[in-house]
Amino acid sequence: MQVDQSLNCIGLSCPMPIIKLNKAIKSMESGEVLEMIGSDPGSKSDVPAWCNKTGNIFLEQTEDNGAFKFYIKKQ
Amino acid sequence: MFKKGEMRELFDSLFAKSWPMWVGGILLAVLNILLFVVKYPWGSSSGYTNIGQNLFQFLDINSLGTTVPIKLHTVALLNIFIVVGAFIASLFSKEFGIRVAPIGELIKGFIGGALMGIGATVGAGCTIGGFFTGVAALSCGALALAVGFAIGTFVALRYLLWEMEALPKISSGKSFTFLAGTGKKTGWQRWLGWVLIAAVLYLVSTYTSKGNAMKVMGWHVLFGLLFGMILQRSRYCIVRAFREPFMTGEATAPVAVIISILVALVGFTVFKYFGVGNSSELAFRAIEMKAVYANFWLRALIGGFIFGLGMTMAGGCAVGTLWRAGEGHVKLWMSAFGFVVMAPVSRLFIVPFVKGILPESMQKMLFLPDILGYTGAVVLVLLILLLWYWFVKWNERTGKFSAL
Repeated sequence: MQVDQSLNCIGLSCPMPIIKLNKAIKSMESGEVLEMIGSDPGSKSDVPAWCNKTGNIFLEQTEDNGAFKFYIKKQ
Repeated sequence: MFKKGEMRELFDSLFAKSWPMWVGGILLAVLNILLFVVKYPWGSSSGYTNIGQNLFQFLDINSLGTTVPIKLHTVALLNIFIVVGAFIASLFSKEFGIRVAPIGELIKGFIGGALMGIGATVGAGCTIGGFFTGVAALSCGALALAVGFAIGTFVALRYLLWEMEALPKISSGKSFTFLAGTGKKTGWQRWLGWVLIAAVLYLVSTYTSKGNAMKVMGWHVLFGLLFGMILQRSRYCIVRAFREPFMTGEATAPVAVIISILVALVGFTVFKYFGVGNSSELAFRAIEMKAVYANFWLRALIGGFIFGLGMTMAGGCAVGTLWRAGEGHVKLWMSAFGFVVMAPVSRLFIVPFVKGILPESMQKMLFLPDILGYTGAVVLVLLILLLWYWFVKWNERTGKFSAL
């Protein structure tokens, strides 16, 4: 997968990851892919829900040693 | 006895996936109803104040007065064992990890906690004892607190959005995660969880073997443990209930909180109406007035506003701070610390000042059924909850009030 931008949210807790995600997506072009790395377990449900609400496409989620990676395509 | 894998299935159904928040809401309300009869319905901020007073006493700062030791304070015990319960649940679900946020976030956590310490003492209640319990207990002040929370949350959310644009460095910088529990190598986390469960149960038994007063303490340890586990599994969050309509517009959290208030409302109303546990006229009134405080309306509004600012900055209310602290978020450790330090100071220096300048008519102890009767009071609370539900669903659909 081609990642156009990466966003580090390690250590941050709710609501900062979603506020940062919102800002990052705004600066991107339609069709580009954002990789967001976070460590808050709440993000596992918050990020897909935010994508659902805003119409951006939730592509994939991986988990490795307490770090979650989310891939989101801007609508 | 069991087929291979059946116990595992049970364990996984509890700990493999998060529970819907409304499921947690119902369970918390049921425990809250039980607490009502054990001693007093659920609250949290007086526990923070007690822990803070003990801390100052330990440091030989005695100007804040002497106090009940933590081990004999039911609310302080609830608070501590909510942290322990959430810690155990996050170990079981492999969601524990020490998450160190950037320094700017840690400072925001401390300031948020300190503001909650001021708000909860000034307003005579936090999101749990003042609002969740308070509304279900038909307290008039609880409604004023809710308005304060909403205004405070709205203002602080505006600040967070502004900060993200103007001062992005606050939430960036060095951050770490330690001891995280995902992956296969973290079997130790589950074992530690079981060891802690055994240790807490042993502690409960040491309390319950010491006579009636201590039995109540022991049960509060157990209640704290259960509250903590339910809170972590369902990620129950009252900040979200107030913030989400103004942020993403999602209605999941407010709906979960509305459901939990509804369930508690049924239980509390029965107990108050029939005076369950009363032995005299005096006791009957004391039961009716449980979770009703002298804060209607301006006192609750001011306190609620300050508390709303704090909980939104910290990212967790009194109880949201506790369960997230148990899950390993260092920002919420700072928030708990700020709350603990500031609550006793505010109680001694800020609260008397506020009480002094506000007229009596703005800090009344008002029980809704005294004005409207039980039927009127319950109908009013139901209408307010219905209105809240309508607002969050309408806003979810239209996004009129959502910033993101």
